[in-house]
Amino acid sequence: MHSQLYRLVYFSKNRIVGGPAAITVEIDSILRSSQRNNTRMDITGALIFNTGIFAQVLEGPRDSVEATFEKIQQDVRHSDVQVLAFDATDQRAFARWSMGYFGRSRESQDLFGHIAAATGFTTAGLEGARIFEIIRDIAFEEEGRAA
Amino acid sequence: MPIRAKSQSLALAKSSKRRPPAALRAQQPADALALSVFMQMKRAAAVVDHDGRLLLSNSVFDELFGAEGGNAMLARINGEAGRNAGKTSRQERFPNGRTFEIETFPVDQGWLIAAGDVTDHLAGQARAAEAARTDGITGLGNRLMFREQLTRLLHNPDSAAATVALLVVDLDRFKALNASLGRKVGDALLGLVGKRIRSAVAAGDTVARLEADKFGIIQVGQPQPQSADALAIRLVDLIGRAYLCDGQLINVAGSIGVVLPSPGAQDCDHLLKNADLALGRAKKDGHGSYRFFEAEMDERMQARRHLEIDLRRALALREFVLVYQPQVNLRTNTVTGFEALLRWQCPTRGAVSPLDFIPLAEETGVIIPIGEWVLRTACREAAKWSPAHIVAVNVSAVQFGNPNLVSTIISALAESGLDPRRLELEITESVMLDARGTAHAVLQVLRTMGVRVALDDFGTGYSSLGYLRSFPFDKIKIDQSFVRGTSNDPVGAAIVRAIAELGQSLGMATVAEGVETADQLARVASDGCTEVQGYYFSRPMAPDQIESYLSTRNRTNLL
Ligand SMILES: Cc1cc2nc3c(=O)[nH]c(=O)nc-3n(C[C@H](O)[C@H](O)[C@H](O)COP(=O)(O)O)c2cc1C
Repeated sequence: MHSQLYRLVYFSKNRIVGGPAAITVEIDSILRSSQRNNTRMDITGALIFNTGIFAQVLEGPRDSVEATFEKIQQDVRHSDVQVLAFDATDQRAFARWSMGYFGRSRESQDLFGHIAAATGFTTAGLEGARIFEIIRDIAFEEEGRAA
Repeated sequence: MPIRAKSQSLALAKSSKRRPPAALRAQQPADALALSVFMQMKRAAAVVDHDGRLLLSNSVFDELFGAEGGNAMLARINGEAGRNAGKTSRQERFPNGRTFEIETFPVDQGWLIAAGDVTDHLAGQARAAEAARTDGITGLGNRLMFREQLTRLLHNPDSAAATVALLVVDLDRFKALNASLGRKVGDALLGLVGKRIRSAVAAGDTVARLEADKFGIIQVGQPQPQSADALAIRLVDLIGRAYLCDGQLINVAGSIGVVLPSPGAQDCDHLLKNADLALGRAKKDGHGSYRFFEAEMDERMQARRHLEIDLRRALALREFVLVYQPQVNLRTNTVTGFEALLRWQCPTRGAVSPLDFIPLAEETGVIIPIGEWVLRTACREAAKWSPAHIVAVNVSAVQFGNPNLVSTIISALAESGLDPRRLELEITESVMLDARGTAHAVLQVLRTMGVRVALDDFGTGYSSLGYLRSFPFDKIKIDQSFVRGTSNDPVGAAIVRAIAELGQSLGMATVAEGVETADQLARVASDGCTEVQGYYFSRPMAPDQIESYLSTRNRTNLL
């Protein structure tokens, strides 16, 4: 068992098919699975999404991060996963797990804006803020390109 | 005391008495011995008469079957034993969950029954059988299990062949990964790949690791080919996604070969072979591809195999000949030497172009004996020529991989008596690409013996200037593609000029190959090449034509 703390940062293309209704269902399902599993696996981090992409930070014991990532990799709701960082770290940058919508679409904002509030979107310290900014920028940048 | 004639349950209860009934009581010492063995046997044992009554039982039997289960068994055994007069043996599972092997033997009084508990033994056997069919690294089935499963499916008349697909998946570059990451991570990665494959197939499908980094999948009960197609697409995608393993980010790609069994196909190995052929093609297409098997792949494979057989035979049957093409020095207008070129006159195929058989000869290693024959023959021929002429022999990278190359060359020179300075080896840059540097060392040795070395086909491939610096070649041969195109190809002309200048400053001769017209000759001459070779001067000729060619040339030159 490897309990060294690791941090993973990746982004991927959103492959959820269907209209807003389908997206709501799937996002809800990811939210529920994550809330259920991540606490148990001692995983914290942030998942941000829009209609084009997902960008995620996962922090936790190495085995937990690897196992969770392996599960996420097999998920058909996204593809083209690009790992940006996978490194050992001393400290968590995210004190809990949270999820939020970051996109330009007004309609989606209305649909998913509440999720951040629901998960209590927070970062911890400067490092957390920095990483959060990176994935948020990626989300905005890639939104149009990936869709 | 009479033989027990009461109800069987009573008989069973009573049988726990140690004392045997009178009828069976020992008369002789040998009987006494037999009886005591019977009573103390570890197996349950009993004697039953022809009417199904228990005559005698040992304590193990009483303990095991003393309850109701025993009666039912006795009745059944009696019935069965009556039907087949000889010895019988079978396994039976009892309500307590244990399995017994029960044997019956006819004896004078009726039947001897012996029973042993084989539950643990069977479980052990089942475990061993399971283990023998399980791959330790991935927990999936192994090749044995896969072949059994496939054979069963192919022989089962109920399984509709039209709904079955066989897929083989192979990881690209896995060996290199394994070497750099270590066995432990490599094995863990195989485990993850196995899980991903498992996650993509249906519950009734079979997944196994067939060998090293090769997995096999049997897809069943799905409309084909569309289901295999969809699965292959999904697997290529899934397997190609990044892995986090042992704290590292790992990328691999999987290639896939698919074969759909034709109706009535029963040969498991044949199917696996065809899947492998399709896989081979997928790998050629590049990382992360998949291919369905087509009969044409098999035909091509067969054709290659036949060519290889013919090729191996050709040497013994003396079907090879060497022809020689002159190289002419442009400044002196004299023949400096001849390049030896291999020709194969196959009795069944006719003349086979070197382009068609050399690559296969290299792949299969047949090039080594062929190359040796070329070296010896060329040296022997050249030794008969005027000492002014050298002979150039092509030596491939595969031959450089053979540790005997130097001794072969030494012996070819010694046998023929050819001055080493009259032998020129033509090598391509693939020889220099050898990472271990052994080719370089071999070249140095040959060089000190006086053997000349030319760099062939320069301008194609990488054409790294580094090669030119790493070894002092005597000659650079400029590939004919640049020479031929010169009239309306300013880039080709520029390349010829650049190489010629390079050769000049490095003190290396430059040979323009494939010169066919006076126009081309004039151009490569003005570009600064020192020598030319090509149809313009002469086609390659048989060894017995060389003399007359040279004398005709001398005569016309004198005019
Ligand atoms: C972009 C993306 C991010 C996800 N992140 C998580 C996560 O952090 N934790 C998690 O358990 N599942 C996550 N999932 C869902 C998993 O892929 C999977 O569906 C889920 O873990 C199944 O959980 P269950 O077996 O408990 O139902 C994510 C899915 C996607 C598409």
